[in-house]
Order: sequence, then C-alpha cells, then structure tokens
Amino acid sequence: MTDAPLSAPGAGIGRSGRVAHLSRHARATVGPVLLVVAALVALWYLACIPMNAQNAVLLAEREDIAVTPATAAERRDMGGLALTFANPAVATARAFAQERPRLPAPHQVLTELWNTTVGVAPTSKRSLLHHARITLVPTLIGFALGSLAGIALAIGIVHSRVMDLSVMPWAIASQTIPILAIAPMIIVVMNSIGVQGVLPKATISAYLSFFPVTVGMVKGLRAPAPSDLDLMRTWNAGPARTLLSLRLPASIPYLFASLKIAVAAALVGAIVGELPTGAVAGLGARLLAGSYYGQTVQIWSALFAAAVVAAALVAAIAALERLTLRRMGLAR
Amino acid sequence: MKHLIAPAVLATGLATAFAAPALAQDNSVALQLQWVTQAQFAGYYVALDKGFYEEENLDVTILPGGPDIAPPQVLAGGGADAMLNWMPSALAAREKGLPVVNIAQPFKSSGLMLTCWKDTGITGPQDFKGKTIGVWFFGNEYPFLSWMSQEGISTEGGEDGVTVLKQGFNVDPLLQRQADCISTMTYNEYGQVLDAGVTEDELVTFKYEDEGVATLEDGIWVLEENLEDPAFVDKMTRFVRASMKGWKYAEENPEEAAGIVLDNDETGAQTEEAQVRMMGEVAKLTAGSNGALDEADYQRTVDTLLAGGSDPVISQAPEGAWTHVISDGALN
Amino acid sequence: MRVRLRSAATSAVLFGGLLVVLGLLAGAAPRIPALAALALLLVWALAWQANRAFSLTDARIARVACPVLFGLTLLLLWQMAVRLFDVPSVILPAPTEITVAIAANLPTLWADFVQTILKGALGGWLIGCTAGVGTALLVARSGFLRRGLLPVGNFVAALPIIGTAPILVMWFGFGWESKAAVVVVMVFFPVLVNTVAGLSDSEAMQRDLMRTYGATPGQTLRYLALPSALPFLFNGLKIATTLALIGAIVAEFFGSPTLGMGFRISTEVGRLNLPMVWATIVVAALTGSLSYGLVARLERRLTFWHPSQQARG
Repeated sequence: MTDAPLSAPGAGIGRSGRVAHLSRHARATVGPVLLVVAALVALWYLACIPMNAQNAVLLAEREDIAVTPATAAERRDMGGLALTFANPAVATARAFAQERPRLPAPHQVLTELWNTTVGVAPTSKRSLLHHARITLVPTLIGFALGSLAGIALAIGIVHSRVMDLSVMPWAIASQTIPILAIAPMIIVVMNSIGVQGVLPKATISAYLSFFPVTVGMVKGLRAPAPSDLDLMRTWNAGPARTLLSLRLPASIPYLFASLKIAVAAALVGAIVGELPTGAVAGLGARLLAGSYYGQTVQIWSALFAAAVVAAALVAAIAALERLTLRRMGLAR
Repeated sequence: MKHLIAPAVLATGLATAFAAPALAQDNSVALQLQWVTQAQFAGYYVALDKGFYEEENLDVTILPGGPDIAPPQVLAGGGADAMLNWMPSALAAREKGLPVVNIAQPFKSSGLMLTCWKDTGITGPQDFKGKTIGVWFFGNEYPFLSWMSQEGISTEGGEDGVTVLKQGFNVDPLLQRQADCISTMTYNEYGQVLDAGVTEDELVTFKYEDEGVATLEDGIWVLEENLEDPAFVDKMTRFVRASMKGWKYAEENPEEAAGIVLDNDETGAQTEEAQVRMMGEVAKLTAGSNGALDEADYQRTVDTLLAGGSDPVISQAPEGAWTHVISDGALN
Repeated sequence: MRVRLRSAATSAVLFGGLLVVLGLLAGAAPRIPALAALALLLVWALAWQANRAFSLTDARIARVACPVLFGLTLLLLWQMAVRLFDVPSVILPAPTEITVAIAANLPTLWADFVQTILKGALGGWLIGCTAGVGTALLVARSGFLRRGLLPVGNFVAALPIIGTAPILVMWFGFGWESKAAVVVVMVFFPVLVNTVAGLSDSEAMQRDLMRTYGATPGQTLRYLALPSALPFLFNGLKIATTLALIGAIVAEFFGSPTLGMGFRISTEVGRLNLPMVWATIVVAALTGSLSYGLVARLERRLTFWHPSQQARG
C-alpha cells in the first residue's frame, strides 16, 4: 500500500490507508444518498393518496360507505386532490394496498420485486432473473458489436478527411430516427434473410450504442496535444504507429465515458428489440405483459429491475475504468 | 483499390443474402399469430401438444405476435408460411399489393364489442356523438370505421362526431375515465374490466355481431404465389386438417386447452383463470365452423367494408381472396 | 485549388455518365443477384472517388458537398437495391415512393408535426431544461445535495422509456401533456448532471480571483459559474434535443389521439402503408438534425472561447 498517505485516518492504529480512504469516501456518499432516497420515498407515499383517490373512493362506494360526491358520474371530473380533501379517511385508508393502483406504494413494488426474484426459482418463467438474463444476452452482444463499430468508425473519421466530412453528419442523423419505428423493419428484413434469434435484437442494441462510442472516440483520438503529435513525427512514426502508441492510449478516458452511456443505450435497444419479436420473453416482454393486463405493480417491478440491470452494467464499466486508468497512471 | 474492398464485401454479402431461398420446402410450417400466446389460439397449441401435427407428418413452429408485429409484413418477408389475420386487415393488405389468400376460417362469429359506462347515457350507436371512444389500430380499426360510416357519424371529434383515441391493449382508458367507451373482445378485455371490480350493470355493451357490422376474424392466410406449388398445397391441407382437429378438441376440453396454452406461454404473465375464461368464450366463436370459409359470411364482411362511405377500407370487391381448395382437401 | 475542383468536376461527370450506362444495363439485364451486387459495388466505388475529390477542395465547399454527396449515394444505392433485388414494397419501399408519399401528404405530415414536435417535444424540452438548470443552480451550492442527488438521478435516468411511457399516459391522459411529461422525465437528468458538472468546473485560481474582487455569491454565479457552465450546458442541451424527439414519438405508441407522428408510424405500419411510415421518419430525422444543428450553432456563438470550438484535430 505504498500509495496511501502516511497521514491517512487510521494509519496510526493499523487500519490500512486504502481502507480508511474507502470508508471516508463511502461515508461521504452513502449518507447523502440515503437521505435523498428517504425523502423521495416519503414523498412517494404521500403522493399515493391523491393518485389513488379515485379508485379508493370507488371501492368504498362499492362497500356501501358514504362518500362525497355520491356517484361516479359526478366524481368523473374531480381531481385526485379534490377527492382526497372531500374524503380524507376513505382515501388514506385504501391508498396503499390496491390491486390496480395508479401509483403503487413502495412496499407493493418491493414485495413484487422480492416475489419475482427471490421467491421463485431463477429458471421459472415467472422469475425476473430469468427474463433479465434473456435481455442481457443481446444487450452484451449488441454492446460489443456497437462499440467495435464505433471505434472502427472513429478511427476512420480521424484518419480520412472524406469520412470526417461525409459520415459524421449522417451518424448524427441516424440517431434522430425513432428506433421503435425501425426496429420491426430490421427484424423483418433480417428474418427474411434467415437471421433469427438473438442477432436481430443485438443489431438494434448495436445501432443505439455505436453513436456515443463514435462521438467519444473521435474526441479522444483527437485529444493528444499537437506537440505530442509532432514528437511522433520526429520519430518517423506513421499513422498506424501514432494510432497505436499515442492516440489510442490518450482516448481511453473518453472511451470509458462513452462506454457507460453506450451500455445503457444497448439495454434500451435490447428491450425495444423484444417488442417486434413477439414480446415473448425478456424484461421488455414483462413490461408489456404488465401493461396489457393492467398489472401496474408488475410494470413498476419490471421497470425497477431494468434500471437495476442498467445501473449494474454501468457500475461494472466504471469499475473496469478505475482498474484500467489506475494501471495506465491516468487515475484521477 | 483499397477503397473498393469494403464496398465489395458488403455487396457480396447483400447478394448472397437476397439470393438465398426464403422458405424451406419440406414439412415445416411456421404460423404467425396475430397476438401473444393466449387461448385465442388454443386450437393450434392443442394440435401441437397433442401430436396432431406430428400425425400429419408436420413440423410446426408457432410464432407469437405482439403490438409491433404486422403478420402480413412477416408473411411478405418470408418469415412465416401462414398467418392469422382479421379479414379487413388482410383484404386491405391485398389491395396494397400483397396478394394474400384465405385458406381456412376457424372462427365463425366475431368477438369484437364496444364496452361503455352506463352513466355516460349511451343507449344506442347514435348516442356516440360527442363521446370519446377508444379504438385499437393496427388492423383492428376497420370494423369500427365502417360502422361509424354506416351510421353517418364522423370520426373527427366535435359535437356531432366521435373523438377517437388510439388505445393501448389494456382496459385502463375505461377505468381511468379517459374514454367513455373502449374496444374489447368478448374473450379478453371484457373479462379484464369485470376483474377490475366493475359490475355488469355499470356497463352497457354493443356487440358488432348484434349491430350487423361484424367482420370475420382470425382466418388462416397464405401468399397467393405459394398456392401454385402442389407440395405447399398438400402441406397446408394437412396443416388445416390437424389445426381444425385441435380446435374441436379445445372446444370440448376447455380446461385442458387452457393448461396447454399456459405451458406454452413464455412470459409467465398469464393466469389460469383468465385463460380458462378466454377458452370458454372463444369456443362460442369457433362453434359452427368446420374450417371452411362460408361464402355468405365472406360476402357480408366485404359488404360491410365497402359500405365505408367516404373512407372505405377497401375500394372494390376483392377477386380471388379466398380458396376452398385446401379446406376441401382437409375435410375429407 | 482550381486544379482540384476540376478533378472533382471530372469525377462527377464520369460518375454521372457511368450511372446512365448502369441504369440502361440494369433495366435490360435480368435480375441476377450477382450482377446487381456488382452494379451496387461499382456505384459506391465511383461515388467514393467523387467524394474524395470534393473533400480535397476548399473547406467551405467540402463541408456541404461531402455529406450531401454521401447522402445521395446512399439514396441511390437504396433505390437500386430495392429495384434490382425486387424487394416488396411492404418491407422496404424505394426512395421514389417515399418522396411521392411526402408530396401527397403534406397537410397530414404538418398536422402531425405540430402535435408531436411543437406541442409535445418542444413543451417538454422547455419544461425539462428549465427544471434541470433550476435544480442544478440549487444543488450546486450544496455538496451534500450533489453527492446525494446524482446517483439517484442516474438511476431514474436509467428507467427505460418503454416502461415509463405507459405509466405517464395513464396519469396524464392521451393528449400532448403525457408526451411532454415523458420528454421532461427523459430530459431532466442529462441537463441536470451536465449543468452541475459545469457549474463546478471553474478552477481554484478563478474562484480565488472572484474572492479578491469581493464578489457576492450571486456575482460569482453570474460572472464565473454560469459562463464556465455553458459548454457543459450545451452538451446537455444537444443530448436533450435528440431525447425529446424520440421521447415524444415513442410516447405516442402507447396511447394518443388520432394525430401525431408516433400515431402515424404505428398505424400506417399496421395498414402496410410503408411509404407513409418512411415519410414520417424522414420528417423526424430532418427535425432532429435541424434542431441539433441549431443548438450547435448557438453553442458556437456563445462559447466561442472554449478550446473545443477552436481546435481542428
């Protein structure tokens, strides 16, 4: 642990500097995050009451409890807040355990998440882990393909003036085409060629993830100072050598920044790609299935599962980044 | 020369891709469903599970549909040998230049209906004026548009017309009071409305069959050019025979059929009671059909569509849109 | 330079001439895939040569001519591929059909544009960016809030739009309000993250300088933090522009009145009217590129002093 300062907290009593450093960093972030999350959860519970008020009052009316106003037709144009103030006890009592809530309570979402991840066998069709795995495969393949394509495109753009002038504007334009419109066509065309299964979904993931990598790598490959480029020139280094020894290493920080964005985009692409293939399996399919049968809690739990997967992927890339940059001496 | 290598590789790839044969000519059949796996397609799943297709020496793959899949498109792309489709949508595709032909019609009656809140004061079709009605699109809007045209009600909104909403595939627009009426199927969404706690006397319903504007649903369609191949005709004859056997079995054993559908559901989102109920309702629609298209029913559908007034679904009576060759062969 | 222009023009003329020959060949020859592939290959090679010649000319001409030529080449290859390989129109229509569809449906396309872009996307973009910048100004003053809010914000930004759109449609109804809400959710966090990073990007020496001038926090904000935040803010705005467009269109897939670009795309696919689908996609791509270009233009004017606007790699 030669890089930990001697004056690090706990150095005197034997706790290693790195551990002390980590724990101080954790204390600095965990506290605020927990506070913000607690505040948000409290707001969420509060918001459940007016959001679910319409349904709560309806349920009470069916149980023959007196509510104001009495009939559904009169209540139709009233907002959630107005109904809550008119029937506070009724609205609050029934806000947190409805079967088809407009806004599920946090504990409902967490229970559903628990039931579908820990409460079922991971290989069962009802398990979110099973569906997450199905979505993860085309995500990772598409991410790999998209990143490679992005890097290749960036190298081409930096070295060829033609490509720089022609391809970049069209790469930008390609991202303005709504993917949800193109995805079915990509799937149909690929199926007609005979390519089925994971590859069409991976193509859509690659389509969404190549652009951030291209933009980031172009910036990164152009990042070395002119003086460094001149230095390579004095050593008679050709473009390939300069690329390998100067440009690529200098672009690694930019690469990792864009890889983090690209992996999240690849996950979105895989979810979008599941819809035209029958929405049969995967997190996107679960989202849609929840939507068809009006199972709001199912939608929310699938949504959180997707966000957790995305966060995990980004964290994995961030860990890889820290490792690589530290070994390259570029750590901040 | 080095600038030609990349284009050469791409062009060769394209050439081999499009030159490859699109369909296998052996005993494999791919059937494209028009929605996700549910008891609406029980006959085919029963035939698969009970070995009826195997008895006819067929290797059948059932491809589930979804919101982003247009079965005619899949058929055109060679991704399936046969598709299920509602007759209005298939006839419209035929007019667009995609020659699809009906080879069998397992569904005798239509399950389409409009479900409205009784407290909106709607008692008959003329009361739709000034109301908001949810309609599915993607091929399911044609019966509604024809009906409104025949009633002389505009679909542009305003006091004397209906405001049409493109509803998603769930019943929330009705429950959340965003629409006064929504499109439902007798076997699916209507049950979901009741499941949400709404009682039958809070609703008023209009079945398209009773209003005389019903169109045929869930027919089996193939591409016209394939019908010139005797091997294909023979294959489809065996397919229709086995499928109709599956349908009749499903009609007589609804619980077993629902169980088979559940086993084949990859999303894990279907529930047994919903599927049993759906099977019971679907059996009412398939009863009375032996698989052959009844010409009188066909003519009634065409007349309904042609009577669409200013915005007809099809502009002229279709020629050669159906054939009895396969169903005749299958039934003896 | 004049020599290079002449070689560019020569290439273009040769290219055009060979196109005519190829066109005649393609019409006359039977539809053999190998021959068709060869034709595509030749066209691309020639276009690339012409493009190279143009790229060596004056920067102003090249900046416009090269992307335009590249785009035209892609369209030409598309048209040739569709015709030569007999691709059915219900799978991929030819560019000529799409142009006809655009010309024939201008009123519909305009009405859709107003509904989706001007009401949904623009409204949501304005609300989202204002909220993002406002929150960033509040958050940047407190390191505590910053450390707490950013991880949570990243998590919320990772929620896929396919899931949030149906929920927001359920809450805000079928009109443009729910589309604007989807856009706000998508746009808020990128703008927030970028602005917060920008507001704290000033160097220690610059902050010390403001201190020696006796600047109040408000003055520091106005003269130091805001200008140094501008490059980051524009980065966020560029991302927000693309997201706003996609968000508004995708949100319409989950419920809309019978108007709007997302509605048009999803229903026309169901009606197998592919040229109209592509016409709407063209409008979307044009809008996205133009608005991105507008923001980039504004960025160049306001942050001319930043190295990224000056360096030419």
